[in-house]
Amino acid sequence: MLVTLVFVSLLVFVVVRVLPGDPALIMLGIEASPEAVARLRESLGLNLPVPVQYVRWIAHAAAGDLGRSIQYDVPVAGLILSRLSVTLPLTVMAAALMAAAAIPLGVFAATRHRRWGDYLTMTLSQLGIAVPGFWAGLLLILLFSVRLGWFQAGGFDGWGQGVGHALKSLLLPAVALGLFQFAVLARTTRSAVLEVLREEYVKTARAKGVAESAVLFRHALRNAMIPILTVAGIQLGQLMAGSIILESVFYLPGLGRLALGAISARDLPVVQGVVLFVATVIVTINAAVDVLYGVLDPRIRYE
Amino acid sequence: MTILRGLGAALLVLALGAGPAAGQGTLTVQVTTEPPGLDLTTNPSSAIAGVVFYNVQEALVKVDRHGKLVPWLAERWYTTDSKNYTFFLRKGVRFHNGREMRAADVKFVLDRAVNPETKHPYRVQYENIQDVIVKDDYTISVTLKRTEANFLWTVARQGSVIYPREAVETLKSAPLGTGPFTVGDWVRGDRIVLVRNRDYWQKGLPRLDKVTYRFIPDPNSSLAALKSGDIDVSAFGLGPENVDDLKKDGRFQVILGDSTNDVTLSMNNSKKPYSDKRVRLAITHAINKEEVLKGAMFGYGRILGSNVDPLNPYFVDVSKRVTYDPVKAKKLLAEAGYPEGFEATFKVAPQYYYTVRSAEVVVNHLAKVGIRAKIQQVEWGQWLAQVFCLKPCENPDYDMSVIGHAEAWDIGNFANPKYYFRWDNAEFQKLFKESEVTVDDKKRRELYVKMQQMLADEAPAVWLYMHPRLVVTKKGVTGIWKDLPIPSLDLSEVGWQK
Repeated sequence: MLVTLVFVSLLVFVVVRVLPGDPALIMLGIEASPEAVARLRESLGLNLPVPVQYVRWIAHAAAGDLGRSIQYDVPVAGLILSRLSVTLPLTVMAAALMAAAAIPLGVFAATRHRRWGDYLTMTLSQLGIAVPGFWAGLLLILLFSVRLGWFQAGGFDGWGQGVGHALKSLLLPAVALGLFQFAVLARTTRSAVLEVLREEYVKTARAKGVAESAVLFRHALRNAMIPILTVAGIQLGQLMAGSIILESVFYLPGLGRLALGAISARDLPVVQGVVLFVATVIVTINAAVDVLYGVLDPRIRYE
Repeated sequence: MTILRGLGAALLVLALGAGPAAGQGTLTVQVTTEPPGLDLTTNPSSAIAGVVFYNVQEALVKVDRHGKLVPWLAERWYTTDSKNYTFFLRKGVRFHNGREMRAADVKFVLDRAVNPETKHPYRVQYENIQDVIVKDDYTISVTLKRTEANFLWTVARQGSVIYPREAVETLKSAPLGTGPFTVGDWVRGDRIVLVRNRDYWQKGLPRLDKVTYRFIPDPNSSLAALKSGDIDVSAFGLGPENVDDLKKDGRFQVILGDSTNDVTLSMNNSKKPYSDKRVRLAITHAINKEEVLKGAMFGYGRILGSNVDPLNPYFVDVSKRVTYDPVKAKKLLAEAGYPEGFEATFKVAPQYYYTVRSAEVVVNHLAKVGIRAKIQQVEWGQWLAQVFCLKPCENPDYDMSVIGHAEAWDIGNFANPKYYFRWDNAEFQKLFKESEVTVDDKKRRELYVKMQQMLADEAPAVWLYMHPRLVVTKKGVTGIWKDLPIPSLDLSEVGWQK
């Protein structure tokens, strides 16, 4: 886990530095004098050798100090935390919607194998895969904001306006964000459950006269959960990454837009900070999924 | 992305529905870019000016909505030689912290701008200041090293705003000034709120109690926000493709005007074949600017012939001097030794939608005379490094590019052989130098006319069109500037129709 993080940190550090485009130049704009650019470079520490910059950064990062944003002149860690108040609930909401819709639908499709219910579900999920998130987002805005006026077209007024209001403004983006992953998860669930339903022990259970619902949920789904969980864990990370685009469509002040803005402004400390943070989250999720395997299937033990 | 936006716009056109009524006295304005800090004196970004300039901070002299210089924090000034200026400050003007503005504040601002330690982005424009002397609390005199006809424009610039010297440390996050609004809340990444300054020196203004700037980068999202009633004004976010649809919609008013943004096809004059005037003229003859304007801007904007925008008092239309004439273009190419044309690359930054669109049309025109150009899209940071070529870049790495030059009074770029056009013409440089020290308005105008004609004839670049100023507001919003002579979004007189 630590090795992965060190590798990611090294990679992002080097990549943002070999990118053409000088942050000082971009900050000061095309009218700035070369002296002003040089002075700014110096004050940002950009004139030091790259290995020295890296060691400095990683040592501070280990202590929770991710540096200061060039653009906003505030600590990066604080910036990430404040943006997380949008991205985290957005991701969790999208994941919850995704799981709540995909797993039952996948199971439903598996039990209606090669019948109309199966075909309908698969058509739905095929649509979800084919429609890009930003497009779905625009359609949702058109219907629910512009035409019906039920939701605002975007933006996030903060948690101060009440939890209900905040969640409401995240609902459309969460649906658009979760759509693709919902489709993938529904298909995964279907095929995992189908596979288990063909197993001998399911036949045995049915032969014993166990109720069909118990067969489905106690025997089939539980055993199918391992591949489902693996996919869902990966998806959680992807949802976070996918928020970059949806946050732009719904102009939400989240982590994704922070990263995007930081890249074009060459706000290196913020880019590095966000990537490192997201990498940490994803590595943690993967570790948690590994632990959950053991809970689901007691035969899996880690030495 | 252009295609995606086009699709989105097409869909939005289909959508209709009434938005909620806006509250009197408050206004929500969409802007594309979040300002990188709010300090006008360290960063030339137009996103900062859009929020701060004239709303929060003001200068001694103002460029008004018609592009004219008018007295502002200085109620009058005096000069006989354009070298020694005396400004008489308006009395009773208070900063947002309650203290009255005095001559010492103006001295502090100008001295700080001259000081190399300050990182002032336009320091070179203040270098000519030799001395700033406080005569009394409301009188200040400025002595220049040499005559400068444009000095009043320098005093009117966004970098010349007057702020209280005790608040110099907070310019970036919470700037104080004399303007009609004070900075309220700034939620990074989402919005900036301006609140009415009740002690504003102009009685009866501003007409709004609160202004919220929302940062919405995507044009489709901006359009949706406008149509659903979330925003009242879209200031820079919508493209010309939305104009016809919005004009038909009774809920909105579309404001189309002039700007100082000259969309320019730049050529690398230090590189063959662009160093040859015949080739540059051939390129100019080969381009049908009417079609470029139609194809890229749906016909909105104005065709240009040189680097002076229509809002400049010395503007003359020289666009007919080198007309669209592909036959002549071919002949010129053959004369220059390129009867079969040549290969060329357009480096454009898709960050500005019009650059790619314009280049696409131009590439077609060039192909008809044998110039085989291809478009290479580069990210803005790379564009600045390769094409615009500031340090550590030594020589610009491009053939042709398209970009809007939004600075007013920027003809001097062509007198600077180090500018990325790399056009080195002693005669033009002499003309420009002369115009800088010519005080007499008539003579100065003549020089400007000569410079414009010379640019058209020498063709160091192709001036395609002026990007239109385009603002869309809800019906009932009044007082928005029609033209944009400076990169500001002056909301002091904006309000709701009663």
